[in-house]
Amino acid sequence: MSEPILKIENLKEWFPVRRTIAQLLKGEQIWVKAVDGITFDINQGEIFGLVGESGCGKTTTGKLLMKLLEPTDGKIMFKGKDVTHLEANKLKEYRRNVQMVFQDPYASMNPRFRAQDVLEEPLIIHQVGETRAEREKIVRRSLEEVRLIPPEEFMGRFPHMLSGGQRQRVATARTLVLSPSMIVADEPVSMIDLSTRAEILHMMKTVQRELGLTYLYITHDLSTARYFTDRIAVMYLGKIVELASADEVIDNALHPYTKALIAAVCEPVSGKSNTGRSYL
Amino acid sequence: MKWIDIKAGFRDFWDEFKRVRFGLFGLILLFIFILTVFINPYIVPFPEASSRWRDITYWEDNPVSAPPVWVNWFSSTKRAPSLILKEHDFSEEKMGKIKLARAVFEYEYPYDLPPLDVIFHGYAKGSPVIMLSIERPDGQIVELVRRPISKSDGKDVRVSIGKDSRIESYNFGVKYEKPESNRIEREMVKPTSILFSEAKEGILVHPAPLKGVYKLIIEIILPAENDAVEDIYFTFSGGVSGWLGTDSSKRDIWSGVVAGVKWALLIGLLTAFTAVSIGVIYGVISAYLGGWKDSLMQRIFELFIGVPLLPVLIVMSAIFKPNIWIMILMMSCFFWVGPVKTVRSMGLQIKEETYIEAARAFGASSSRIIFKHMIPLLIPYSFASMALYVPSAIVYEASISLLGLGDSTIVTWGQILHDALTGGAVINGLWWWVIPPGLFIALMGMTFAFIGFAMDKILHPKLRTR
Repeated sequence: MSEPILKIENLKEWFPVRRTIAQLLKGEQIWVKAVDGITFDINQGEIFGLVGESGCGKTTTGKLLMKLLEPTDGKIMFKGKDVTHLEANKLKEYRRNVQMVFQDPYASMNPRFRAQDVLEEPLIIHQVGETRAEREKIVRRSLEEVRLIPPEEFMGRFPHMLSGGQRQRVATARTLVLSPSMIVADEPVSMIDLSTRAEILHMMKTVQRELGLTYLYITHDLSTARYFTDRIAVMYLGKIVELASADEVIDNALHPYTKALIAAVCEPVSGKSNTGRSYL
Repeated sequence: MKWIDIKAGFRDFWDEFKRVRFGLFGLILLFIFILTVFINPYIVPFPEASSRWRDITYWEDNPVSAPPVWVNWFSSTKRAPSLILKEHDFSEEKMGKIKLARAVFEYEYPYDLPPLDVIFHGYAKGSPVIMLSIERPDGQIVELVRRPISKSDGKDVRVSIGKDSRIESYNFGVKYEKPESNRIEREMVKPTSILFSEAKEGILVHPAPLKGVYKLIIEIILPAENDAVEDIYFTFSGGVSGWLGTDSSKRDIWSGVVAGVKWALLIGLLTAFTAVSIGVIYGVISAYLGGWKDSLMQRIFELFIGVPLLPVLIVMSAIFKPNIWIMILMMSCFFWVGPVKTVRSMGLQIKEETYIEAARAFGASSSRIIFKHMIPLLIPYSFASMALYVPSAIVYEASISLLGLGDSTIVTWGQILHDALTGGAVINGLWWWVIPPGLFIALMGMTFAFIGFAMDKILHPKLRTR
């Protein structure tokens, strides 16, 4: 494996709970520890899975990496540089390199924007492409990359005129227009029809191989994680409880929480029982 | 943003706008209003109405409180309408040094009620003598006025039959009345009602109309070589006048209402646009920034909304004696608070949307998020409130005018309404003085409401699929 593109050290995000007057006078403060000291590396060209139940802090971790939240403590190193606290212009540069695919592709696109406007926006923000025609060329290319062919057919559509799978493809294409080196994918297929999930993941994987991208794949679904990722970190109550290669985690789970997660995966074949439900 | 992008954007917008029928209707109305402003001089009889609305000499030939001409269509007694008569036969005779000019105007009179006054106009040079007489359809010729002009280099001559030929008319009429039934005072008679009535008993008291062609004859004695009377014409101030009648100050309401279009558009649009723009941007910024900045901005907003608008405007108008531009500015200064609260609450909701977060994740600046993602959502609302502010700005302007604090150099619908109110239009049943300006205010409001709703439909693409 090559050297890590992203290093996270003891990252913390604590949210203050609103205090009562009595607490205020006593100087007490209660915190919600959404992310409580996590440490991991993501290697160049790797798909790194972050798995956990709802509310365990995995989305917060994603937002911390995207710099949508300011970390309470800890350090984020991207390509050897400290990016924990950035000024506006450096932040913009960082965001050009790290992009995000959101959970709900419908909500993450302005409903008043056509697919073309959605894809064009990052280009306008980062001043890529001189004219509209030039930008349109880039837009068309990234639509082809996510297998929305022919691109002309989809460019003029509003999000509500696209199917769930097409929407997520457009959302993925949006992250590609700026040719980033890393993509944070926050449950990219959880809102998508089961039948198209594999298709989307396959497309994402193909794109990743073609362009040499690094993914941070955030999910609660171990079955897709196994299929999709190289390494998996299991997160529980803001902490990482297990980190190993995908097969290792699923076949030889050490932590009881991981075992519980594996047990919770639905089996499509009837009669086959989910054994070991009593772990938690 | 490049020019070509803006052009493409407009084309897209227009392609969609075309499909909304009532939007097009609103646009057509707006177009008609704007067209009215440009062709104003060609569609009104008094094109200077806007600048000389309060100049009584400009309106002196008109009748007082006359209903519109089309009232004749619904009435069994037809009244003579106001008219300008220019066509005439002209002949000239030379008697030595003295010239004798004669002009004959033919006037067709098929009505039941005579015009209130007939006025001769001309431009005299030197010292001519003007003699005015009328030849009735029954063949009688009545000599009315003899007016010598004192020597001058040129001046306007105005001879009113109604005022200047009382005695002559009375003398003509009184011959037919029985002496015992004739108790009517000479000062009480209306010359035109005698001249346009049948020559029989009752001509002074109960005149019956004599229909037919009348000839108004002007004879001019020009004693010197260079003496002349030019530009001669008659104006008839009728029992009915113009498309929308006249008010109690003889002003033509149609001219006034059309002149008001320009000012209404200006006051309404400019005030609504400035105020709503400021308000919407203020509200969105307040919502987006959040925290103590939001609190501070809301306190400033409350300061403004707590101010009672009308008294403040009245006091400011009284102190500054504003012209229309200052007035628009003053109104904008207080109108902007209107949309703030709603916009802020909408903004608070919009800012939590995932696509706003997504835009931030792509590195969009605050101003881009506010203007590109948040404001477009509020445009339909903005247009709806603009549509509301257009009439309310007009009404506020009228309220200020009501107290005589408005810009007296222009004419607005509000001022016409105010004049109607103080002129007792309602008590005297002068509906043509009240309804047109009110109707035009309503039409203007409707125009903007339609356009606003059409835009609402376009800018909310989801609505179209329903």
